[in-house]
Amino acid sequence: MINIKTLDKILKKVEKPARYIGMEQNSIEKDISNAKVKFAFSFPDIYDVGMSHLGLHILYNLINNEKDYVCERVFAPWTDMEEEMRKENLPLFTLESKEEVKNFDFLGFTLQYEMSYTNILNILDLSDIPLRAKDRGDNAPLVIAGGPCAYNPEPLAEFIDFFVIGEGEEITLEILKLYEKHKAENWSKDRFLEDIATMEGIYVPKFYQVVYNEDNTIKERKVLNSTAPEKIKKRMVKDLNTMFSPESMVVPYIETVHDRVIMEIFRGCTRGCRFCQAGMIYRPVREKSVDRLVELAENLVENTGYENVSLSSLSSCDYSELHLLIEKLMENFEEKKVGVSLPSLRLDSFIVDILQEIEKVRKSGLTFAPEAGSQRLRDVINKGVTEEDLVNTVTRIFREGWSTVKLYFMIGLPTETDEDVLGIRDLAYKVKDIFFETPKEQRKGNLKITASASCFVPKPFTPFQWLGQDSIEEFYRKAYLVKNNIKDNKIKFTFHDPKLSYLEAIISRGDRKISELILKAWEMGCKFDGWSEHFKYDTWIEVMEELGIDGDFYALRNRDLEENLPWDFIDPGVSKEYLKREYNKSLGEKITDDCRISCNACGIVDCTMRGYKF
Amino acid sequence: MRLFHRTFNKAKIPIGYSEGFNPHPKFSIANPLALGIESDEEYIDIELDNMEVEDFIEKMNLVLPKDVQIIEGKSIEKGETIDSLISWAHYEIEFELKENIEGFGENLMKWLQRDEINIDKIRRKKKKEIKRVENIRPLIGNLTVKEIHEKNVVLNTLLKAGSNGNLKPMDLVEAMNRDMELKIDLQSMDIRRTGQYAEKDNNIFKPL
Repeated sequence: MINIKTLDKILKKVEKPARYIGMEQNSIEKDISNAKVKFAFSFPDIYDVGMSHLGLHILYNLINNEKDYVCERVFAPWTDMEEEMRKENLPLFTLESKEEVKNFDFLGFTLQYEMSYTNILNILDLSDIPLRAKDRGDNAPLVIAGGPCAYNPEPLAEFIDFFVIGEGEEITLEILKLYEKHKAENWSKDRFLEDIATMEGIYVPKFYQVVYNEDNTIKERKVLNSTAPEKIKKRMVKDLNTMFSPESMVVPYIETVHDRVIMEIFRGCTRGCRFCQAGMIYRPVREKSVDRLVELAENLVENTGYENVSLSSLSSCDYSELHLLIEKLMENFEEKKVGVSLPSLRLDSFIVDILQEIEKVRKSGLTFAPEAGSQRLRDVINKGVTEEDLVNTVTRIFREGWSTVKLYFMIGLPTETDEDVLGIRDLAYKVKDIFFETPKEQRKGNLKITASASCFVPKPFTPFQWLGQDSIEEFYRKAYLVKNNIKDNKIKFTFHDPKLSYLEAIISRGDRKISELILKAWEMGCKFDGWSEHFKYDTWIEVMEELGIDGDFYALRNRDLEENLPWDFIDPGVSKEYLKREYNKSLGEKITDDCRISCNACGIVDCTMRGYKF
Repeated sequence: MRLFHRTFNKAKIPIGYSEGFNPHPKFSIANPLALGIESDEEYIDIELDNMEVEDFIEKMNLVLPKDVQIIEGKSIEKGETIDSLISWAHYEIEFELKENIEGFGENLMKWLQRDEINIDKIRRKKKKEIKRVENIRPLIGNLTVKEIHEKNVVLNTLLKAGSNGNLKPMDLVEAMNRDMELKIDLQSMDIRRTGQYAEKDNNIFKPL
C-alpha cells in the first residue's frame, strides 16, 4: 500500500480529490493479499471520462465476481495530481486498495481513442514500470490492452506484452485462469506468452517481425515463434442474453461524463456506413432480449440509485423491439421517477413517437448526424438517410415542441467537392426554415441550431482504409468555407481541430515505427493529447522530424489496394474482399443495403441477419 | 447531495419532489462543508411522505457507506428548517508553524483582543470582482489552543455559521497567518468540524 499520509496531504491540494479516493457505492474492496490474480484495469484518461465507459463496469464486475480474482481501477491522474505525486515520489496506485500498480499481476488498458496513447506511457512511468515490453522482467506486471483501437495494435507493439482482439466477456477469465495455472507452476513470462499466444484473440507482438520495403511500405511479416498464429481472429460472444452483463455499476461521488446507468441493448450494426470502424468490427448484430433488458434495467436501477437509464448501442433506434422495450421500461419506471434516454439517434421519423414517450416532460435538445451535406456524398459513405428523412423528422419535432437541434457532419470525406461542403450550410438553413414554417402556436422556445463538423479520419477495417486524409490546410479551407457562408445568429457552426485529426490519422493507421514517435512525444511532455488545452501539435511535428517519420506517409497517402497494411494480420470477421467491394462501390456513389434487407456477404460467419426481416 | 439523492432512490425512500420540468428531491444540507474539511456531524432537512424516522434511518444506513451514517432523526413542523436554526460551528484546526513559534499562545490571545480583524472578501459577480472589507472579530465565538507540540498546533474554535453571519475556518487561519506572520502552509492544514449548534437566549445547544 502507498503512504496514505502523503496521499491525504496532496489530496488537499488538487482539484476534485474524489477522483483519487475510490470508496464509491458498489466499488469492490477485497483483501488483495489473498487474491490469486490481481488485475489493475486502466482507462488511460481521467476518472471523470473513464468512469463513463461501459467496458470498465463490465470487466470490473466480471473479474470481481470470481472469488480468487481482484480487479481494481486506475486512471490517468490529472496534471495537478501528477505534479504533486512526482514531487512527493508517490507511485501510481489503484483506487480500491491504494496498492501500487506495479504490484499487480496485470495492468490492462482499454484503447478507446488513439490520442490517449501517450497517457498509457505516462501511467506506466508513474507506476515505475518500464515502458518497453522487452525491458520488463519476469516480476513486472503483464501489460495488456484491448478495445476498438487494438484492431490496429502495431503503434503500441513496443509497449504491450499482449493484445486482446475483440470482445472481452469470455476471454478475460480464460486469460486469468491460464495465468493462475502458470503461476502455480514454475513461472516464466516467456513460457506464459508462448502458451497464451495459442488462445484465439491473443496477439503477442514480440513473436512477430515486420520487414519493410524501401518505400517504407510493408514487405512481409515473419512469425518468429512456432506457437504464434499467422492471423489473429477476433473474439466474439455468440449470445448476449447468456453473456455476463453487469447488474451493478460503481457510482461516482463526482459528476462524470455519463452520469447514469448505461445499458447495452445490442452489439453490432447493420447499416454499413463506410467510414465507421465500429460498424465493421462489432459485426454481427446480436441483441439482448426485451425480457433480459427489463430484468437488467430493474437490477441496475435498484443497485445504483441512478435516475436515468441510457439505452446504449451503435444505433439504438435499430433495436428490433424498441417500442416494446421502451413501453415496458416506462411502465416499470414511471413511479420511481427514473428516465430513459436514447443516445445515437438516427433521422428516422418513427423515432419521434418514441421520444415523445420517453421525454414526457423535458424537451431537451436533439442530436442528429447526417454526416455529409449532400445526398451524393451521403451515398458515397453509405449513410442511408435522405434529405426527406431529415425534413420529415425535423418538421415533427418542432411541432412537438423541441427547439434545440444539433447536427453532426464530417468534412474531408472521400470525393468531397466544395458543393458537398456547402451542403452543410444548406441543411442547417433548411432546418431553420422548417422551424419558422411551423405554425406559431405549435412551436416552443427559441430556435438554436448547432452544426458541427469533425475532420474525417480514415480508419483500419473500413472501406476507406486505403484512402488519404485531407491535408490540414484543406480541412481549414473547407471549414471556413462553411463558417463564412453561415450568416445567421440562430445557426452556430463549429469544427474540430484539423491538427488533432491529422495526428489521429497517423496513429490509427500507423505501423510499429509509430511506437518510437509516441515514446519520444511523451518524453517531450505530450500527454492528454485529446484535451485541446494540452495538445502540443508543434512538439509532435518536431519529434517526427527528429525521428525521420513522415506523417503524410501515414495520414495523407492513398494506398494501393494490394499493399500490405500494418493491420492485415488481424481478422475482424469482415473480409478484405468485402471492404474492397465497398470501396469500389463508394467511388461509384452506389449504396449498399442494410444487412436486414439483404445479405451483403461481408464475410461474417454464423450471422443471423441475412436479410431476415424488415 | 449526489450521494444522498442516489441513496434515497436505492433505499426506496418516499421523498418529496419539487414540482416543475426538472423535479428534484426536497432535501437540504445545513452549512455545506467546503471541500477537504472533515466533519463529525452534519444536519440535513428532508421532506418525507409518510415514513417513520426510525424506519428511515434503518433503510438509509443499510445503503449508505459505513463512514457516512445517520445517527439521529426527528420529525419537525413544516417551515422550521435546520439551516435557520444553526448559528455556530465548532472546529478543530491543525497546522504546522514555520515562524514565530515562541509565544504563539500569548500572541494569539493578544490578537483576539483587537476590536477589529478585517479581511478582504471577494465576490464574483459575472466577470467583475467586488472587494469588500469585513470585520470578522464578532464572528469568532472563542478560540483556544488545544495543543502545541513542537511546531504542530491544534486549535479549537467556535465560529459563526449560517445565514446570520458566517466565518470559514480557512479565512480565520488566513487572517491569523497574515497578522501574526506565521508562514503556515495553508494547503497542508487539517480542519475538522466537530459540532454545529443553535443559539437561544445566549445559550448554545445541539439542534436535535
